[in-house]
Amino acid sequence: MSLNQCLKGKEYPEVTLTVERDQVRQFADAIREDAAIFRDPQSGKGAGYAEQVAPPTFVTKVQIMSSAEVVLDQDLGLNYMMVVHGEQEFEWRRPLVVGDVLTAVPRIADIYAKGPNEFLVIEAEVKDSSGETVAVSRTTLLSRGTAER
Amino acid sequence: MGRRPLAGIQVGDEIPSLSKVIKREDVKAYADSSGDQNPLHQDDNFARSVGFPGIIAHGMFTMAHLVKAVTDWAGDPGALKRMKVQFRAVVFMNETIVAKGRVESLDPMTKRARLSVWVEVDRAGERQLPIKNGEAEIELI
Repeated sequence: MSLNQCLKGKEYPEVTLTVERDQVRQFADAIREDAAIFRDPQSGKGAGYAEQVAPPTFVTKVQIMSSAEVVLDQDLGLNYMMVVHGEQEFEWRRPLVVGDVLTAVPRIADIYAKGPNEFLVIEAEVKDSSGETVAVSRTTLLSRGTAER
Repeated sequence: MGRRPLAGIQVGDEIPSLSKVIKREDVKAYADSSGDQNPLHQDDNFARSVGFPGIIAHGMFTMAHLVKAVTDWAGDPGALKRMKVQFRAVVFMNETIVAKGRVESLDPMTKRARLSVWVEVDRAGERQLPIKNGEAEIELI
């Protein structure tokens, strides 16, 4: 079964994430990022930031929430068992810090086939509470062997 | 630790490679802290049912290590403006991943450096590339 091309451009309900101190520390622990700026507010401030800084890939949390909404869409026709994460791109406009309240509207940026596989591109522009874009995520999921021959 | 100046960097420079042994407890902690609870990264029986010998690390877990290699070199996590990667090989528990990068171009006007970045793992004497063809854009001072 192939993916529903009509969903190209579809937007999904907004996801939201507050950057919390404990979550940042746990994430830093998991990736063995031991620099002090990821662990306490004073070090963050000492390095010129407003607060304790989140590791750049902390934004993955928003990427995962965004991708989950899309892959669970029954109209898309995606078999999750056939999916692998093919590519990931992030743009960062500024580092995320503790206290940031982030929102993103996940969107299907593209659906295309190449050989036997199909590709689903999910884009999420991550904004802070002032509406400013702080990061952009582009996720390419690969659906193995589902293209129509 | 401060942000690295562009002066003193040359095209072709390699960043220090950064190695890490993949530990099951780290992958579990990553599943919990990232929110990606796919059983492929936690349940050996499930992983075997889809053709792997055991659980594999999240691609984003490997990317996080590559980002650390780049931001350690840049001296500031805020220096990283963009990264794009392709996931091309899986990573198993207790394997050693090695993050690497090389300066491909420098723009003195914008103080930006473009790097090619990748992650290697040695499996039975053969070099695999869990992350291939990566690109990173860094803002230096």
